[in-house]
Amino acid sequence: MTYAVLIVPDFALHALCRSDPSLRGRAVALVAGEGRRARVTEASPEARGVGPGLAATLAMSRCPGIALKPRDPGAEVEAHRLLVAAAFTLAPRVESTGAGCCTVDLRGADRARTEALMRLRVAELAQAGLPLRIGAGATPLLASYAARCAGPVLIVDDPEGFLRPLPLAFAEPTPGQQEILRGWGIGTLGALTALPKAEVGRRMGAEGALLWERAAGQSERVLRLVEPARSFAAEWAYEPPVESIEPLFFKLRRFAERIALELRGAGFVAEKLSLTLLLEDGTDYRREFRLPEPGANVEGWLRVLNSHLAAVRTDARIAGARLVAAPARPPERQEGLFDAGLKDPAAFWENLARVAAIVGDDRVGTPAPLDTHRPDAFVMERPAEAVAPPASAPVHSACGPTLRRFRPPWPVRVACEGGLPARLEGGRLEGRVRAALGPWLAAGDWWRPEAWAVETWQVELAAGGVYQLARSGAGWCVEGMLD
Amino acid sequence: MQVSGPSQTVSALRSLLAARFPERTRRPCGGVSAAVRSVDDALGGGLPAGCLTELVSAVPSGGGQTVIAGLLSATQEARQRIALVDGSDGFAPEAVPADVLRHLVWVRCRAPEEALAAADILVRDGNYAAVVLDLRGCAERVLRRTPASSWYRLQRAAEGGTVAVLVQTPSALVPAVPWRLVLDTPLSLSDAGAPRRAVAARLAVRAERSHAQAEERLAG
Repeated sequence: MTYAVLIVPDFALHALCRSDPSLRGRAVALVAGEGRRARVTEASPEARGVGPGLAATLAMSRCPGIALKPRDPGAEVEAHRLLVAAAFTLAPRVESTGAGCCTVDLRGADRARTEALMRLRVAELAQAGLPLRIGAGATPLLASYAARCAGPVLIVDDPEGFLRPLPLAFAEPTPGQQEILRGWGIGTLGALTALPKAEVGRRMGAEGALLWERAAGQSERVLRLVEPARSFAAEWAYEPPVESIEPLFFKLRRFAERIALELRGAGFVAEKLSLTLLLEDGTDYRREFRLPEPGANVEGWLRVLNSHLAAVRTDARIAGARLVAAPARPPERQEGLFDAGLKDPAAFWENLARVAAIVGDDRVGTPAPLDTHRPDAFVMERPAEAVAPPASAPVHSACGPTLRRFRPPWPVRVACEGGLPARLEGGRLEGRVRAALGPWLAAGDWWRPEAWAVETWQVELAAGGVYQLARSGAGWCVEGMLD
Repeated sequence: MQVSGPSQTVSALRSLLAARFPERTRRPCGGVSAAVRSVDDALGGGLPAGCLTELVSAVPSGGGQTVIAGLLSATQEARQRIALVDGSDGFAPEAVPADVLRHLVWVRCRAPEEALAAADILVRDGNYAAVVLDLRGCAERVLRRTPASSWYRLQRAAEGGTVAVLVQTPSALVPAVPWRLVLDTPLSLSDAGAPRRAVAARLAVRAERSHAQAEERLAG
């Protein structure tokens, strides 16, 4: 096999149906022309009794409830981009032959691997709403014949045996040629190629010789190659704008499928996703999702996006959306024998995204104390992929009970005796102080407007409990409990 | 003449239950050390994997946060991952060495509902050795309103998994919890200067109720 042809039968119809969830499972037909001249061009299998060429009015009477739709150029462009992206995953030399048709130059490709990839793409595109058929053969023409007969993948190793029973119409004879050949009793490609090419050419002219070549699948041509995608983005609009999240999910999946295939075809994976919701009031809502495990798995992307979107509320209806994937090379990682990495990285990051959707992005992560003595100074960092081995024992080991903070601190009045806190009053915590330690003085950022200074005490109440008090310019407060 | 008294009937019933539901009478294997001797001893070696353990801080400064600090250092030494679902956002990162924070996933919640929802997700994750759900500091009135089904759901999520779930509460809350320990002896200011390991070693824990032990007794 040297060439492969990918085709989607009834392409315009399938492109429309995959872009509109309301058409799923319904009787649908595409119509061209207006008024009484409107004719069906393509019809779904559910539209019984309706076929190409039927008048729209007749189609409605034969199949009540049929949805008659015009072609959707935008949906066809998007579906064709998906098809081209799928073709690029087979080999890098791809021709965009026509609407719903691509030709791939497979020279140098490993047969077994390519065949497995073909079947995988067929399954993926079927999930994406495009019933793909792939044929492969020694010439682009033979591959296209194979694609038209494929169910869903057909590789032609014996061209003569394959072509012999095919109807003459595959070679696209002109009406005149068809009539002549019918008169000769020739109705299949095999019957035509059984005649000597020179004799056919002598009787039917140069056109006849070309027809013979087409019937033999020998017609060679140079492919008009297209460049693989360099940007991995999709943008779409809603007319009218949408209020609920379901239409957004539907389109998001459709466009994510195409972007993921484009990435794979170019040998990339997504490192980061950027989603922009274009709102009806002219504003937009933009979020970036860093994928800690770079990949081109649509389900993984959608879980991250959906977890976030489920909690999003916008001030206006959504008029459009834009999804951009930042490409990166696939991670190549060799797990070490003693590595303590994640058992299931995908689940880990997805679950963190789900938790972040509940509590907020800035409230999930690994805390890292800042290099300052300012109380409660830390940042939330992205959790590490692997648990690092313990560092050597610190010179100053941790002492005493562990502080549990009250956020925000509890304001309190402190009565002092002899310079020591003696009683807490007027707050959520009251009582006589049995013992006190302190003060520890700390100050910092004196060269900045946000200079701070604090005096810290530890007190034990007579009623029980050890607490940490802080005194600053704002007065006293209970910072937390030593627990 | 064969006597079939109540004791024999109960014994037969126990045998039947043990045969039918062996997983209910099996002591949980594995576990995560809390690096607090009294807690580990009470639980037979550490927090059991695959079930919930409730740790009730019945008094102020009972040592619940020291148990969390101990868990952090023990899991770090074992190079395991731990999640802290902080119901009242009370964890103080500066109170523990920075080195023992690098394997921690801290979820800072604003309400018990958030904490339960987050714990429900993380317990099912499979990447954590331990999940701590700290509900101290949450309004007890709100905690009491938590439907029992939420707790059963969490228990079912933990069952059969490898994660040890520690629920820290201000009072006994979790219904039918296999292990409930109570910290009812407050620490004092004299502990402030002691090494934390010594403070942890002094913590007093009382096993208030143990369904797991009861089930073991039931199994004979």
